[in-house]
Amino acid sequence: MTVLELSSVTKHYGGRMALDGIDLSVPRGSALGLLGPNGAGKTTVLRLLLGFIRPNAGRVLLRGKAPTQAAARVGVAYLPERLALPPRMTVRGVLRLHAALAGLAGAERDRSIAAVLEQTGLAQRERERVGGLSRGLLQRVGFAQALLGSPEVLLLDEPISGLDPIGVRDARDWILGARERGCTVLVSSHLLSEVERTCDRVAILHEGRIAASGPVDELVGPGEDLEDAFVRVVRG
Amino acid sequence: MTDGALRTFGALAGEALHDAVRRRIVPLIAAVSLLSLLAVDSCTSCGVASLTTHGNAVEVLDIASWTGAVIFLVLALWMGILAGLLGSDHLAEPLADGSAALVLARPVSRHSFALARLTGALLIALGAGTVLLAVTAGLLHARYAVALAPASWAATAAGVGAVTLGALAAAGSLALPRIAVALLVLMAVAGIALVNTLSLAGAELGGIFAALDRFGPPLLTAPALALSPWLEGVKLPGVADVMLRLLLWLGGSLALLLGAFSRMEIHS
Repeated sequence: MTVLELSSVTKHYGGRMALDGIDLSVPRGSALGLLGPNGAGKTTVLRLLLGFIRPNAGRVLLRGKAPTQAAARVGVAYLPERLALPPRMTVRGVLRLHAALAGLAGAERDRSIAAVLEQTGLAQRERERVGGLSRGLLQRVGFAQALLGSPEVLLLDEPISGLDPIGVRDARDWILGARERGCTVLVSSHLLSEVERTCDRVAILHEGRIAASGPVDELVGPGEDLEDAFVRVVRG
Repeated sequence: MTDGALRTFGALAGEALHDAVRRRIVPLIAAVSLLSLLAVDSCTSCGVASLTTHGNAVEVLDIASWTGAVIFLVLALWMGILAGLLGSDHLAEPLADGSAALVLARPVSRHSFALARLTGALLIALGAGTVLLAVTAGLLHARYAVALAPASWAATAAGVGAVTLGALAAAGSLALPRIAVALLVLMAVAGIALVNTLSLAGAELGGIFAALDRFGPPLLTAPALALSPWLEGVKLPGVADVMLRLLLWLGGSLALLLGAFSRMEIHS
């Protein structure tokens, strides 16, 4: 079953074409790395999938439904590139709010919060205000809220930005752990090596079009790594 | 509404209220409210007696009723201004700073989010306004035995007007900067209060002023109408017309807010 689907999607902002008739689909349990230079349209794809914006043409489906419907986003978690949280909230407060929004309640909610605090190394910081956290710790809070309740779909926009090498390794483990549970993942990233390690498929966006897509091992030519393949595709 | 949707709304509204409580404007609201209470106490503390002006005996109860009504109406407008000012950025702020994106990525409808943010702002405005109006009515009742029922109807009408202003301000904030919305709120309340007052005083209004009085939200007319048992000799319009208009503005303002927010593109 296809969990994320864009069919002939066009999106423009005023006179600027952000996406030009792209087709993209991610089957259940798969992990797609969405690659592309700055301004290629990666974040636009994520916004469309979350129903934040509507396409000018084409169709977007999230779990088989129009993403503007709240029901389409059940079991979906998102980590934006620039994570913004009310600075006065505590780490635990953020997680309690998002647990409630994810439909968790009572003992299940408490268990889930305790599990993600432990998993992301934030157990000792649960009472701290997020406004006082470093960028790396804030990103861990972002991962913690995304991992609450074992989501079915993870949409991650530049998820390892701001993380130190240990954080990068941890983030990789969290993504791979989610995949092992059958979670469908879409990662938008510039860090090709991480995409290569965490995703089974990639799509390279360039100037609003899908320049190449497919399984990582098919896209990477002999003697190449993903970075070489990316440069080859983007530079034509 | 399902249990899950209610829980979601409750969580969002609770968060919006926490957010509103921490706003810099809230201590100002508390200070102004406290000063207002002192002023109300002072203005309603005359003893019961008879005055004679130009040879006519005037009962202090009549004066108190008029004074009380004026204070009540001013406080009703203050509640509306508070709702408008808080509504002017309580929805727009999380959209601007990006924190709304994380919430809206969850199974949360835009309607639920917008109404929850509005609720958070309105609970502060309506809470402060209700305390002020209740204390005013209580003092007038205790000191001059004025009827309480008109006060409760007037407070309800003022509350509906405040919700309308809050929703209009929140809708406006989706397209305009906060300062512009705040100025529009102040100008609108002042303009409507002026034309409603002139109309209640029997002045003949023309052009845009008459239209504003006849078709605009009856922010002052509606609570004044409810206080009519306190006010003798005032030419008041029909109850049904004013209350219907008040409710139409309420429905229209909420529909405008929800419609505008549903269509809005979120780029954070």
